[in-house]
Amino acid sequence: MEEAKRNKFPLSKGAALFVAMLASSISHGDLFDSGKVLATGGVSMIDGAGGGGITPWATITGYATKEGINGDLHYTYAPLANYTLHSVGAAVGFWDRFELSYTSSSLTTGSTFDTLGLVFDTVGGLTDSVAGLPISTGIEPFNTTIDMEVIGAKVRVFGEAIYDSDNFIPQVAVGAFYKTNKNDELLTTLGADKTKDWEAYISATKIFFPINTLINITARYTAANQTGLVGFGGPDGSDKEIRPEISLAYLLRKDTVIGVEWAKHGDNLNGQSVEIAGLDLTSLQPTLETLGLSNVAGTLTQNESDWYDAFVAFFPNKNLSITMAYAMLGNITLTPDQHGFYLSLQASF
Amino acid sequence: MKQLFRTIAITFMLCVAASPSFSQTGKTGTYPPIDSDAVEQFGGPEGVRNWVEGLFYYIMLDNRINHVFREFGNIERQIYLNTQLVQLVLGGDVEYQGASMAAAHADLGITLTQFNAVVEAAYNSCERIQLTYEACNQLIAGLAPYKHAIVTR
Ligand code: HEM
Repeated sequence: MEEAKRNKFPLSKGAALFVAMLASSISHGDLFDSGKVLATGGVSMIDGAGGGGITPWATITGYATKEGINGDLHYTYAPLANYTLHSVGAAVGFWDRFELSYTSSSLTTGSTFDTLGLVFDTVGGLTDSVAGLPISTGIEPFNTTIDMEVIGAKVRVFGEAIYDSDNFIPQVAVGAFYKTNKNDELLTTLGADKTKDWEAYISATKIFFPINTLINITARYTAANQTGLVGFGGPDGSDKEIRPEISLAYLLRKDTVIGVEWAKHGDNLNGQSVEIAGLDLTSLQPTLETLGLSNVAGTLTQNESDWYDAFVAFFPNKNLSITMAYAMLGNITLTPDQHGFYLSLQASF
Repeated sequence: MKQLFRTIAITFMLCVAASPSFSQTGKTGTYPPIDSDAVEQFGGPEGVRNWVEGLFYYIMLDNRINHVFREFGNIERQIYLNTQLVQLVLGGDVEYQGASMAAAHADLGITLTQFNAVVEAAYNSCERIQLTYEACNQLIAGLAPYKHAIVTR
């Protein structure tokens, strides 16, 4: 504390105070707690919050009860047909009340954007002369990667997901994400309104032990396109809307849970083509045809589908969970049928 | 009219009185209800007794909680009373002769971590006596609401 007093900067003073508080809690007992029953901390959803695979739950991540804090590191790998998602991050649950999370996602895009990149390169000279400017679309001929950072916070408001088997009152939490997509140029090309935005959600989670079932219902208030990987909003702006999400899980064994999820997605960019320097690419259609690239035209209209997945989560112990899923994400921007396997690992400490 | 009002008031008071204190007089009312053959799934009263013995075996192996039982408990009495209580919450036709959960645990300052440790022992005992996970969860559902009475810290 002497150190902190001499410090000029309020921020580091605050940090020192926080560390001192942590240190004093440690001396009062064990700050780290892993008192939850196996599996009841849930897994890490792709935005980094505690939950299922694609939906945040009302449970606070990690194994701490109200007596301590507990955190986890998570990594998710989803090789879809034309895109591959890697997402890595960390989350901490405080006193089974409050949760903070950080996740960095990268989506490497495959053949579609490669083709598009080639098209842009080919017609580049032409569009340059039309617009009178050198143009950057954010799409490279090969290996366009979309990067996004997600910061999340969640507070459990009331209710008891696990032990109140004698009533219907679920555990309810509210949370928010702040998402920063790093690909300004690409998002402009795709017609998204914003690259950074927040979203908020309310989740209700309840376990029904007599039927070995967990139900989670979430309402997310958002303008995201593909969770923000394709930015937020579209040509009509980025007004948020409420989108429902549901997870249904069956407790198969004390260390194994299977289930399905559904998350409603928006339609901000539906029917939207690709724009280069304010030019809708459909106006380039004749050019593409002369270049013998007319076959690409069919893929130049974007669409977004609701997300579905079916998962099995395995908890060999309180330090590790392994979630495998089949994700059915439908149309992602220009490419339909984006289905594929999904693997998510969570290490708790 | 007065009669009606009194009936409503009494019914209301009974409901309020009955729910939070959770007295040990019968099957736990859960949503959805516990299976009607739950005691049979456990192998009848004998099976329940086996499960309770297994429970205390695992409790006494767990350093997070065994000291509480060593200091304040009476294992033989607790096995006897828990065998009654478990049958009762599962819908068995028995009388529970022990203290209420609130009274029995009031002075122990039990934490949720300790309560969860007993739940983990409960699952271990289910596995040890070859009970299905589904049958085990009937019991977890039946005992879960006692959390409010037992966890006081
Ligand atoms: C759902 C969980 C639990 C159930 C069903 C349960 C049940 C019981 C029962 C039936 C008794 C006997 C009451 C009597 O003597 O009349 C008892 C006593 C006792 N329980 Fe529990 N218990 C639970 C959780 C716990 C936990 C988590 C602890 C501590 C970590 C604990 C520690 C004790 C002790 C020390 C006694 C003896 C108290 C005394 O004789 O003064 N119990 N419990």
